[in-house]
Amino acid sequence: MIRVVNAIYDLFSSVRFGIVLLVLLFIFMSVGSAGIVYPVHPNLFHPDAWVHQQMRQWRAFEMTEFEWFHWWPFNALIAMIATTLVVTTLRRIPFRVVNLGVWTIHTGVIVLIVGSFIYFQTKVEGDAPVARRKVVLTVQGVEGTVELLAAMGATATIGSGDSAMTIEVAEIDPEWELRSGSDAGDLSYSVKLLVTTATDRFIRQLIANHPQYTEDILFTDDPAQPMKRAIKERGQALVESRLTASLDYESQQYFYVRNDLTKAWALYLRSKGSAMWIERPMEGVPLYNDSISSHGDVFESPSTTAAPLHPMHVLVPAVAANDPCADVTFSIDGYLRYAQTKTRLLSGGAQSPFAPAASIEVRGAEGAQTTYQLMAFDPERSSGDGGLIRMVALTSEEQLAKLQGVSQIRCVIPAANIDVIEPVRLPAEGDQDAFMPIGGAESGYGFRVIAAQDELPIGGKTTSVLIIELKTPTTTIRRWVFDEPSLTRDVPANDGGHGAPIPPDPSVQVEYQRGAGRAILTLAVGPGENQLRIVTAVGNTAAKVQSVSVDESITLPAGLSLRVTSYLPRARIETRPVAVPESQRIRDARELFAQVLVNVPGSSSRWMEFSPYAVDDARFALRRHPYHPSTVTLADGREIELLFSRRRIPLNTDIALEEFVLTSHEGGYTGEGGSIRDYTSLVRFRDASTGGEWSDPTAVSVNSPIEHNGLWYFQAQWDPPEPASQQDRGSRGLNYTVLGVGNRRGVQTQLAGCIIAVMGMLYAFYVKPVIIRRRTARAKAVAVSRPVQANAAVQS
Amino acid sequence: MNRFDARFDARFDSLVVRAQRLLVCSIGLAMIALAGIALAGNARGAADTQSAGAFSNQVDLSPLDSVAVQTEGRLKSFSSFAQSQMAYVSGPRRINGQSPAFTYLDMLLRGEAYKDADVIFVKGTTVRAPIADVLVRVDPSLSQRMNSFMSTGLISPSLLSRPEVEPVLDALQSDLLRTAKAMDAVRAARTVMTPEFLLDRLRVVPAAAIDPNQRWSSMRDLMMLAADDPSAAKVAGINTDPIVGIDEGSQRAAAAAWKSLVEGWTNGDVAATNQALSQLASTLRAMNPSMYPDASRLQWESWYFANGNLVWIWLVYALSVILLLLGLVYRWRRATLMGLAVFGAAFLMQTAALALRWWISSRWPNSNMFEAVTTAVWFGGCVAVLLEVVFRGRAAAGMFALASGCASAIALMAAHFLPVQLNAQISNMMPVLHDVWLYIHTNVIIFSYCLIFMAAVSAVMYLVYRVCGGPAVFARVGGTGALEVVGASALRGEKLGEVLDGVTMLLMKLAFVLLWTGIVMGAIWADHSWGRPWGWDPKEVFALNTFVVFAVLVHVRYRVKDKGFWTAVLAVIGAAVMLFNWIVINFIITGLHSYA
Repeated sequence: MIRVVNAIYDLFSSVRFGIVLLVLLFIFMSVGSAGIVYPVHPNLFHPDAWVHQQMRQWRAFEMTEFEWFHWWPFNALIAMIATTLVVTTLRRIPFRVVNLGVWTIHTGVIVLIVGSFIYFQTKVEGDAPVARRKVVLTVQGVEGTVELLAAMGATATIGSGDSAMTIEVAEIDPEWELRSGSDAGDLSYSVKLLVTTATDRFIRQLIANHPQYTEDILFTDDPAQPMKRAIKERGQALVESRLTASLDYESQQYFYVRNDLTKAWALYLRSKGSAMWIERPMEGVPLYNDSISSHGDVFESPSTTAAPLHPMHVLVPAVAANDPCADVTFSIDGYLRYAQTKTRLLSGGAQSPFAPAASIEVRGAEGAQTTYQLMAFDPERSSGDGGLIRMVALTSEEQLAKLQGVSQIRCVIPAANIDVIEPVRLPAEGDQDAFMPIGGAESGYGFRVIAAQDELPIGGKTTSVLIIELKTPTTTIRRWVFDEPSLTRDVPANDGGHGAPIPPDPSVQVEYQRGAGRAILTLAVGPGENQLRIVTAVGNTAAKVQSVSVDESITLPAGLSLRVTSYLPRARIETRPVAVPESQRIRDARELFAQVLVNVPGSSSRWMEFSPYAVDDARFALRRHPYHPSTVTLADGREIELLFSRRRIPLNTDIALEEFVLTSHEGGYTGEGGSIRDYTSLVRFRDASTGGEWSDPTAVSVNSPIEHNGLWYFQAQWDPPEPASQQDRGSRGLNYTVLGVGNRRGVQTQLAGCIIAVMGMLYAFYVKPVIIRRRTARAKAVAVSRPVQANAAVQS
Repeated sequence: MNRFDARFDARFDSLVVRAQRLLVCSIGLAMIALAGIALAGNARGAADTQSAGAFSNQVDLSPLDSVAVQTEGRLKSFSSFAQSQMAYVSGPRRINGQSPAFTYLDMLLRGEAYKDADVIFVKGTTVRAPIADVLVRVDPSLSQRMNSFMSTGLISPSLLSRPEVEPVLDALQSDLLRTAKAMDAVRAARTVMTPEFLLDRLRVVPAAAIDPNQRWSSMRDLMMLAADDPSAAKVAGINTDPIVGIDEGSQRAAAAAWKSLVEGWTNGDVAATNQALSQLASTLRAMNPSMYPDASRLQWESWYFANGNLVWIWLVYALSVILLLLGLVYRWRRATLMGLAVFGAAFLMQTAALALRWWISSRWPNSNMFEAVTTAVWFGGCVAVLLEVVFRGRAAAGMFALASGCASAIALMAAHFLPVQLNAQISNMMPVLHDVWLYIHTNVIIFSYCLIFMAAVSAVMYLVYRVCGGPAVFARVGGTGALEVVGASALRGEKLGEVLDGVTMLLMKLAFVLLWTGIVMGAIWADHSWGRPWGWDPKEVFALNTFVVFAVLVHVRYRVKDKGFWTAVLAVIGAAVMLFNWIVINFIITGLHSYA
């Protein structure tokens, strides 16, 4: 026994063993960091002969860099190096002046290892998104407040029926210049809300930190000045006093753990209707390798061979005391690193209900090709390209006529005994005066169209309106003619329609019969189940109807051609993910496109897309940060909302973003990366240490973090401006910041170790040789007088 | 053997030595001459085409050298700006041997002429091959042109716009891993070479206000002041009114100069063009002289870029290396002295180039790959000069210059021949680099990297010495002992091995301390920049790996008998790991450090 201990003791005091350990360390670090390269082809000079792979990402390891470097073999290696260092130093290196250097270096390394142990044991790191403001809304007569993020397009509807009010964030200007009072010239954050009530539409502008400047802005019919301030128009700042809107900080209480350092997947759940997400950690879900249990779980592209199956079954039990369904254990039965959700139309069989669906391929003049999958009865899938192409199911031929019909008005003038239908023609530019006669030129009646707006969303449904002027022998009436006759009303000219509704003058009755609307292409099914027709309304020509069969190519005006590639009268929709091929993945997307297959006991399993942050609801989702909650029904009928995200840790403070400042180089921000000088978030904290009040703003910018309650805050990401596009109305950016959050216990110890080691190196390399040389010189001098002893001195 | 024979032998020996010296000298000189011819050949090739196009030869663009352009948050001289823009189009290639400034204006004013010219640079043969294949398939007459495309990478916009090529480009674009980046560059090239883009980017009209955040205006914004009928421009959305805040008279003068430049250029009228150019340059400067950069700075910037960032200094370094090697191998003192003189001259030139770049960019050059590489070897030069002074007249004389000369010659040569990887453009630094630690950490690290390389040079020489039969010797007293030995005679026999090992050890120790310190400083910066001092980023890991190799070296040297050999082997391995970190990790395995 003692011999074994002695042997180990000898081993750990061997420099050779130390060298072996250092070589092992070198290999371990190289393989973990750069990966390995190996030949897969006998001709080693063949361009594809060598393969580079990250070994730590292999299925057997499944490790991030952090995990590889905190794996037990690495820890063991470091522990052995530390032991060897201590034992060898104590046993083999006499504590003398010449050896001070090596003692110091070794001490420094030990201190560094201790510091690193403390550091990595307690290290947490993540990121916290902080949005700039939220909009707080209250409506008189409706209980409670409604909040939404001040982000382009965020929408809320308050109340119901006729008193419903829809509020949408229509414009955000992060650098709004104040024009009044002592603040004139200052820049502030302005949010414009588009408020739509049953009878009215206007803009309410809110300015951060200046509630006194809240005001309404009205639409006018004057093209030279399409908007006017309510205060100038009506003498009061607010036209809708029932609505109170204000801006407030959107505080953040959590930071989300970085998943690419150490895997930290989490499943969030809450009872339907509850606001608070409860976290369940998902231990054992991989990061790099796809795992599916059955080929039916995903759509596989026919061109590639089926991926091998790697079944997984990770249980996700409740951990929190307030878990809404503590008795239910979910499981994760599949994982995809990078996938896209696709829908395919599948035949439902003869028994399933009539649900017509078709795939339509449209080819442009330049060869560009677009495929649409449309389902007539599904409002979300019945049209494509913003309504330009659609699919409808007809029950009668009459409906077809309506589809191809041009918009028209029916005018009834009892006094002149006129009842005619006139086509609607929009005025040509500059042609102001031409009234189209009603019932012949001699009648003295006429109309002209000022504007037409189809499919306006008003009060939760869509309506179309035609603004016309009617000429009678005695007067001119301006009338808003809705396709819903009860809404039709007369308006005084230049009022903008914001006064109280005036019932339409009964001497002239007008009905608006909307035609094909915006849709250029309509695929009409029916009345027979397999009867397909295409209604085209390209250009100004009258709509054209053509019968079409599957796979028949149809030439349309403007160089377009169309083909119905498949038609299913009884279709059902299947949604599954498709793994994106390696070569088409965005390299720095991290886990953004990950999906897990969640098995819900008593219900079917479902794929869930990753959401980086567990925000309260979709109204608080940040731009460029997807949010995909999903509702499931448990066996006992309870409805639970699920979210696939990362673990989060409380900040122990509220944090708010006062302002985000982008500073630029010469010439201002031009959109080019080279013009950006720095990003600065001005943040405020609120907790016990700040007395429960918001602290004064503190600047966090690149390379200059701040500390609060033991956590450090770093500038990490920003919200860049984006131009509007077809799908998106764009954003002026600067609406939120993402702060890196982390702790740093043990850093001082690490630094101390490093500095001690440096001092040791300087001593060993630059002081020790001088000492030895002096001793040698002294020994030589002595040797001249006493040659025999000199040799001994040199030997030492 | 009688005395005569002995004398004859001695003479014969010295004759042989002289003949050898002569041979090596002439080989060295021939190499330099060849390199020189190769470079001059480039220039001559350009000159030939220029004389063919008399116009491009006769137009005097020198007034534009002192014109400033605001681009990507900087003010550049027009010539260096044109070079950076043309690099988007033709990459490292020059079009028809014209100066980038000429090409810029020619593309802007006679854009049609470039529609079918091979001017767009496509990077990588994996991208070129499928494009060339499809074009040859549809049009076999293009095979000659496609051969040259495969080697130069230059192709014309009209060929790329062919309908048959489009699906190929789409396929290349969809491979995000391998080819999408190259396709992005092609798309950027096609955008940049449109006259509208070139005109819009010509932001030469200084801002009216003293506010540096004010964007400069483009020539497009005021050129209509000289138009006969501005109404057409209004429809196209081009500004027809004078820019507010700037003297209207000078705006009109600039517009008129621009108009006559356009006319002169398109008509091939040299005299009118030259006059318009100098007029335009002077009116632009006069618009807001207080905002305008110093003319001499702009001219120096143009000169610096016109002369290839002075990386041709590698030739001078190469010459000094040859002379120093001659001196070392043949113990030829005069060659060593000449080598030292040439090295000194090369170092002074490089110092001047560095200082010039520092002045032009108004920051210490250490923020991109080109600057890191060239500044690193300049540090090596400083150390070599210092040590040559310290060890003058000693056995180690010339060795440090030799090591540093090798490092500098290779680094500057790399910068010369790999202008894409070592891009010499001056651009603004990313916000994360704006920190005092950039200057401390980066410089210490690159300094240590250069020392590691220099140590490897002397280690290789030691290994050569051993291969040629030198005995297993090593430097005593930690390496420096051997360097104390006085006199050139020490270079004979086993002392040479000791000196070489001593040089390796001296440089290695410096590198060891600096590398460790540099890594620690990087950790300090990372701690407050990224939130963690150590993130196992590949570049960090391989810097540490380099250090581990040297730690192994120190301990192996302590244990083994043949200290010199193992020191040399490990010094070379250390340098290999360092180069792996700088080349492979940087360009293939990118991590957080990918901007440097």
